[in-house]
Amino acid sequence: MTALDNLLLLALLTVLLLLAGRRLSSLGWYLTILFGAQFAGLLMMGALGYGAPPVPSSLHIGVMGQVMQWRFDALSWLFALITVGAGLTSSWYLAGDWGRHYRQRGGNLWLLQLALAVNVFSMLLLLASGDLLSLFIGWELVSWSAFLLMALNGADAMRAALRYITYAMAGAMAMMAGLGLVLHTAGSLQYADLAAAVPTLSSPQLWGLILLFGMGFGVKMGLLPLHLWQARAYSETPGPGASFLGAVSTRMGLWGLILVLVQLVGLVPIADLAIPYTFLDARELLMWVAALTIILPTYTALRQNDARMLLAWHGIGQGGYMLLGVLMGDAMGSAGGLMHAFNYATYQAPLFMAVYAVRYRTGTSDLNRLGGLVTRMPLSFLVMLVGIIGLAGLPPMNGFVSKWLIYRGLINDGQPLLFIAAVVGTFGTILSVYKLIHNTFLGQLRLEHVEVREAPWSMTVPMLLLSAVVFVTGYLPGLVLDWVAAAQQAVGLPVLVHTLGGVESPLGSLDMIWVSSLMFAGFGIGALLFYAGGNRSKAVHQLDNYAGGHFLSADVRYQYSDHFYAGLMRHIGPLYRNSFQWLEGALGTTVETLGAAMRAFYRQHHPAIYLLAVTTAGLIWVIL
Amino acid sequence: MSIGTLALELLLMPLVAFVVGLAMVLMLRRIGARIQRRVGPPLLQPLYDVVKLYGKQTQISHGIVHDIGIVMAVGGYIAAETLLPVPGMDGIAAKGGLITLVYVLMVPMLGLALGVGQCANPNGSIGISRALTAMLAYDIPFVIVVFGISWHYGTTDLTRIIALQQAAGPAGWGAAEMPLLAIAGLIALHASLGKQPFEIYVAPAEIATGPMVEMGGKYLGGLFVMQCFQLYTASVLYTTLFLGGGENWILFLLKIFAVVAIPMTLAYLFPRYRTEDLVRLLWKWPVLIGLVGLALVMR
Repeated sequence: MTALDNLLLLALLTVLLLLAGRRLSSLGWYLTILFGAQFAGLLMMGALGYGAPPVPSSLHIGVMGQVMQWRFDALSWLFALITVGAGLTSSWYLAGDWGRHYRQRGGNLWLLQLALAVNVFSMLLLLASGDLLSLFIGWELVSWSAFLLMALNGADAMRAALRYITYAMAGAMAMMAGLGLVLHTAGSLQYADLAAAVPTLSSPQLWGLILLFGMGFGVKMGLLPLHLWQARAYSETPGPGASFLGAVSTRMGLWGLILVLVQLVGLVPIADLAIPYTFLDARELLMWVAALTIILPTYTALRQNDARMLLAWHGIGQGGYMLLGVLMGDAMGSAGGLMHAFNYATYQAPLFMAVYAVRYRTGTSDLNRLGGLVTRMPLSFLVMLVGIIGLAGLPPMNGFVSKWLIYRGLINDGQPLLFIAAVVGTFGTILSVYKLIHNTFLGQLRLEHVEVREAPWSMTVPMLLLSAVVFVTGYLPGLVLDWVAAAQQAVGLPVLVHTLGGVESPLGSLDMIWVSSLMFAGFGIGALLFYAGGNRSKAVHQLDNYAGGHFLSADVRYQYSDHFYAGLMRHIGPLYRNSFQWLEGALGTTVETLGAAMRAFYRQHHPAIYLLAVTTAGLIWVIL
Repeated sequence: MSIGTLALELLLMPLVAFVVGLAMVLMLRRIGARIQRRVGPPLLQPLYDVVKLYGKQTQISHGIVHDIGIVMAVGGYIAAETLLPVPGMDGIAAKGGLITLVYVLMVPMLGLALGVGQCANPNGSIGISRALTAMLAYDIPFVIVVFGISWHYGTTDLTRIIALQQAAGPAGWGAAEMPLLAIAGLIALHASLGKQPFEIYVAPAEIATGPMVEMGGKYLGGLFVMQCFQLYTASVLYTTLFLGGGENWILFLLKIFAVVAIPMTLAYLFPRYRTEDLVRLLWKWPVLIGLVGLALVMR
């Protein structure tokens, strides 16, 4: 039994216990403890994060001449850490009051918990896969278990989940075709054989490989134009499920892309594939796909009026940063991409949790029906504040460090347009997350929310814990960069030389210990000037406000929330054309038309004539 | 460098920034006055204003975030000044660099936005929505400039960028080597100050001074201090990137005052742009000029 065996067995046991223990009271706490045990199991393999050799599993299965095996390397370990961490905090969040509330409102709590456990298990299995066959099986398990989580919440959720699974199946078909191609060209589905066969592949074969696997993993990652399913499906998933899926599920696609494109095929052969009649090669094409995945979903998020949708759209956009960073293939950019996957999970999960805490207390996440909650839910506000600073990529939170590395990588790489695209995405995020926090927590408190209280501790503690991680890994990015460097080494990327505080380089250094410390020193002086200077301030009621000479009363809605960026939208509004929706619709209609034609062909109109024609043709074929 | 010297620098840099910033506010008011054929305020008026605002008897708070917003707005700039090298003092410029500075500068903006948000006055929120839109507008040409500079000098370390320019003399200044980027940068930096003609987010007659609508006393005083820092930071950053930084304090002060005074003198003549026109203008001319400049730098 290796450490990996133990971990996978523990994850499987968790699923089995959930299956058997349906009637157990406080099942949620057992689940949390088991996730905690899985986390400890991962930490037992902690040496992987510091450059130790891969940990194999003792399980091997031979199928039709192919050997299926499982192993953990530093890359798997990093992603597994995110997965189990997200599972742990999500199950903690639902273990107490949120779970009871969910059950009271008619939700099937047991199924939700089971789906969470199944998701974590299947993701660990996927991350451990040691060849393309076990990868494919793991991939399908992950796809279907995500479906299980998405489909729990009524008709809308089911519709969104079905849309997801349609995309996922298309991706799976593409990946299966990719496997066929690998088997045909490399003669085996082992990683090593594929890697060895890459130099012998012709360009069309290599293109085929990139496109098929790119599509397979790209669906999960929500890469443009395969992203349409994601926001709706995630936002319809019940609270902790959404925070889990939002934090990590999509990253499985990134992991797969890194495995196939970077580790097995290698970025050099991809960069050698020129696209005829353009200045681009295949790597730059993918980088542009990543850049568009940053910009378009981010600016779609800007228009959302539901907090969950807003966050889910940002989730798609943030994936673009990760892919962009990894595809750069240099030490800084790829470290940024990998680190962003970790950082993003640490702030996206609590952001979803904060939104669901508000929903738990007020019953809505509609940004036009909230406001002023900071006075009632200060801890949730704090969590959201830390989360949005991370999401927007501002110092001193961890999101800044990974984005800094990506920007720096793009400058080193000499990619001005991609750099501008990445920064434009960041600005869009800043606008959008301010709207999120403003419309939820700032502004006027509504009359019906006057009695609202802070979310219970069972919910606030995991949120605050994750917020602390966002801050600490922003203050000491070296902690995560160690793991990232080990992952870089494992997939054959150049390794980032780093310090505890960031990066030291003649190209430009970053020392977050100094930067953050001085920011807090600055705030300290600012606070001193504010609180020590001048008279004590007197707090006034929110209706004691300037209103152009009118008196405000409790029934007056005095809040600016709808159409928040009206001026900007007057300029860029016409650019929102729903082209991808249109494309999806057109594709769906085409398939429907073809299906109807085929159905008409063999079933409805004049079957006798078709039968006669086919028989005649068959006879002619036999005779000749 | 010894700890003591560094600590002294870290204290002095924001202090100098504040004093110079006060002088810049005075200069701006005087420019405005002269254009309107007035005399303008006396020498110490900006200081009197700060003292007056802090000394007001009535201080109205709309909640803790309102207070913290002001603290962040001032404190963020105090921190940012230590990332900005001036003659004889580098502070921690080498540990942050250009990109970090650009992002640290957004923190006071965020603080202000949070503080205004809690005031529960839609005029303030509309002001912030406009200010953030303006940020999106002027920062796109500005990041083009940031990329051009970083590419040209091969580093984001501001101390090295200054050293490289000073070693080459005035002919090697950023403005001489990258004139188009310098023009784009000047327009973007001027827009970032939120002065005429880009002050739609204040628009007193329409949204009652926007973000300032619920600010009085030391809250407004904090914003006044923030404005001093903002003028100083923008001009020093521009001088660092394009005008070779400061060889000594006299030249340095001359450069930074000129950087604020010249565009302001021209800008006072323009009427205020609406938000969408502001976006259109800044996404068109400085972006175009900047992209052409970038192409020339990278050729």
